[in-house]
Amino acid sequence: MAAPDGAQLFTNNCSACHLLDQMVVGPSLAEIRGLYLGKPDDFVKWCVAPKKKRENVIEMPSMVHVGDEGLRAIYDHIMKVAEGVKAKKQDPGDPYKTSATYTARPQVQRIFMPNAGPASIAVALDATNSLCWDAGECRLRYAWTGGFIDGFPYWRGNGSSVAAVVGTVKYTEAQSPFGTGKEVKFLGYTMKDKLPTFRYQIGAQTVTERFTPLKEGTGFQRTFAVTPTPSAPMTLEFTAQDGVTITSDKGKMDGTKLTLAPADAATFTLTISLK
Amino acid sequence: MKSLSLLAWLSLSLVASAWTEHFSFEEIAGPPGVDPQVGAMETLADGRLAVAFHRGEVMIYDPVAKTWTAFASGLQEPLGMLADKDGSLLVMQRAELTRLRDTDGDGSADSYETVFDDFGMSGNYHEFAYGPARDAQGNLYIVLGVASNGASMAKEIRGEFSKIGKVDFAGMSTRETWGKNRGAAGRMYARVKWRGWVLKLSPDGKTMEPFASGFRSPNGIGFDAAGRLLITDNQGDWRPTSPLYDVKKGGFYGHPASLVWTPGWDGKDPMSMPVPELDKLQQPAIGYFPQGELANSPTWPVVIPKGSFPETWTNHTLIGEMNQKNLVRVLEDKVDGTLQTALVPVFDGSPLGMGSNRLAFGKDGVLYVGKTALSWAGGKGITRIKWNGKAFLALDQIKAQKQGFALRFSQPLDAATLDKLTVSRHTYDYHQAYGAPKKDLTKLEVKNAKLSADGQTLTFEIGELKEKYLHFIDMTALRGKDGGKVLGSKAWYQVIKAPK
Repeated sequence: MAAPDGAQLFTNNCSACHLLDQMVVGPSLAEIRGLYLGKPDDFVKWCVAPKKKRENVIEMPSMVHVGDEGLRAIYDHIMKVAEGVKAKKQDPGDPYKTSATYTARPQVQRIFMPNAGPASIAVALDATNSLCWDAGECRLRYAWTGGFIDGFPYWRGNGSSVAAVVGTVKYTEAQSPFGTGKEVKFLGYTMKDKLPTFRYQIGAQTVTERFTPLKEGTGFQRTFAVTPTPSAPMTLEFTAQDGVTITSDKGKMDGTKLTLAPADAATFTLTISLK
Repeated sequence: MKSLSLLAWLSLSLVASAWTEHFSFEEIAGPPGVDPQVGAMETLADGRLAVAFHRGEVMIYDPVAKTWTAFASGLQEPLGMLADKDGSLLVMQRAELTRLRDTDGDGSADSYETVFDDFGMSGNYHEFAYGPARDAQGNLYIVLGVASNGASMAKEIRGEFSKIGKVDFAGMSTRETWGKNRGAAGRMYARVKWRGWVLKLSPDGKTMEPFASGFRSPNGIGFDAAGRLLITDNQGDWRPTSPLYDVKKGGFYGHPASLVWTPGWDGKDPMSMPVPELDKLQQPAIGYFPQGELANSPTWPVVIPKGSFPETWTNHTLIGEMNQKNLVRVLEDKVDGTLQTALVPVFDGSPLGMGSNRLAFGKDGVLYVGKTALSWAGGKGITRIKWNGKAFLALDQIKAQKQGFALRFSQPLDAATLDKLTVSRHTYDYHQAYGAPKKDLTKLEVKNAKLSADGQTLTFEIGELKEKYLHFIDMTALRGKDGGKVLGSKAWYQVIKAPK
């Protein structure tokens, strides 16, 4: 068949990701020229078996289907068109950082979170109180004060990074207050006043858990409802930590242990105060 | 002389030769302040368009008032959506299938009900979740992408971890030492449950049946007009080029990572199985999108409704594509009951651009194309495409014959151009390496090219068709009787079964 047309092959196979003078999905032709001028064999080798090379940039797929001769034609094309071209610098910041859509509070956002399971939900209760709820384990993981999340590390690409917590984590729960070893099933959440009420099953019971903020940066309240009402007193255990005070409107709090009479377990509210 | 050249120019301008003479392409202004990468789109019963975006908003577009209203927010990478009769929306996001419901009638969802989340998540970015597609009985089908060795798993995963594989949990989940382990992890991996599987759910989502396996990055799932479940997948490891599948219960569709979750699997590592053994297990693709030419990352299949395209297109399947600046039309054929297809570009050379991730038809027949990139090649926003109702020359049907093909066109061809038809064919190796070059590429001599009495059916011979070969029919140099070009002038026909 006819000699390969480097320009045409470039258009079909490369132009979607490589522009002449600026980085888009992959590096610019100007940059590629700088890397491979005089090294056509290295270029072909790379195209056939590319590797992960740059942070926050996806890995190039193999261009093996183009064939050696075709890749050499693409190489010649790139070296020619990029001659004398300088790559532009770009701003890597989040273009939607100040958008009302993402700065509105309260806010619920499912995203990969640090130190939590992959089915996490970040909740901004208000401008200064936020928490991470794990829909896989059906439990609160941690709460922080300061701000909400920076989701751009995740959103800038295809989700290969977790979101960053903005602020200071003040409270962490090592396990569900209802204990471990029971089968849990996430049922979803309802929204009221832009705040979620999580629903889940734990053992034979269905629990709803609703979070509301205390005044700025001082913690939150969580209201539980348990159905059916347990037949025996229920004990909830919390993780002791500095600067955290937990009180309950019902039952008896003994250190980090809350004991509720069956009737009290139907609905009760905890106040988690953070220093 | 002057009047003659004017006449020549006039007649030339009447000849249809570009998509833009028949379709308008218009960018819709997106909702302000929202990252306009589209993950899912669905036309509602009232004609409004529901659109799910990359950062998790579901917004409703009113095509008459040209306004957006917020319906839901905070979802993670929604990649599929279905409207239900009761007004609720089913949305597939990374972690679950969710039903969004507006229970208080204020126009936005206040119930985010988990319909189904009984599948694993390793925390790897490539575990996208797609669907649902709904069959005639109301059952829902979702399909789960596998993880990429571009990254490790997370320290915490959801669900069971499969011990089958060369790297253990600690090695798979340690980001810091991933460089050491990624080579042995498999290019794509499925160490948590149901990755690479199609799952069939009861209409309420309460019961699940593992339906079919072998998928890699199946960013397109839908039923065609004949009720077949079509799934597209992306070129990569075990995918020489992007395939189109007609998915049947119990089928294995080529990517081995998912096999470890086969009920009753005997524990062997599919990555160590001999390729011929895997090849024997797999179901054939009903079509192939040649990489770099037709599609690199095909997307969602939709059924063309009446009025959006010429009548001969009605009920055909139309598929989106991320990298090439075209959509793809599916022309189906049957040989001895075996379904096989030719894939044909649509809107190539038009202003469509890249990134066509989701397709939806408005009640008025307008086609909406929602675009995304997710840091790969692609686009953003929504393009509205409207046909002006005028006929044009295109390929409408293709039929494999003993010695060649019969092609049915929408308008008569110019017999004088038939000698310019070219045909070639090639095949691909099925292997673990990422993609594959064309193998055994052969140019075929075209003989006995003939037109039917009405000039619309072209038959030609190339000798016997070859099974497992992709036959490329290039109609670019053909002309209609009026001198116009064929719109969508290339067809790639995958022969599974050759007529005997």
